Amino acid sequence: MDVLLGVAVAVELLCCLGVALMTNVYDRLHYLSASTAVGPFLILAALLVREGLSSQTFDAIATVAILFVAGPILVHATARAARRIDFGRPGVRPRKEL
Amino acid sequence: MNAFTIAALALLAGYVPLGIVVLRAREIDALVALEACGVIATLCLMCLGEGFHRGVYFDVPVIAAATTWIGGLVFARFLGRYL
Repeated sequence: MDVLLGVAVAVELLCCLGVALMTNVYDRLHYLSASTAVGPFLILAALLVREGLSSQTFDAIATVAILFVAGPILVHATARAARRIDFGRPGVRPRKEL
Repeated sequence: MNAFTIAALALLAGYVPLGIVVLRAREIDALVALEACGVIATLCLMCLGEGFHRGVYFDVPVIAAATTWIGGLVFARFLGRYL
């Protein structure tokens, strides 16, 4: 349990450092998505090892499920906004004449 | 103090680099750091709930995860449209 918690904290702190140290928004988003996909499951595993199945762990499962499912949607929306800021509104390109 | 409260305290250290990004970087980069702050806060609340052995406290990270997600989407939509 302690090992799982330690690895989870280390992964989350590494993701925070990655968000801080990367130079552009798209690289930062990689670390954000890793923080929603790896660390929560390790903390949930530590919780399951300690408590087993109980009402608390069901709440924790719901929390981790929200993070895991909603995280990529949020990353996609943020990347779309960043693309719109950097390159303008996406539209249909004019068709090339053959 | 047990392992979960220590883990919650250690997770709080992640706010330092993220706070620097929020204060210094441009708006869309600050939004990414803010979303990461939400993930850290959710996990920290989950660890605190287990550390204090209170089942009621486990409702808070569920709400935190949902509201963080909604807030991030609203900010992303706003920044993409008006910047």
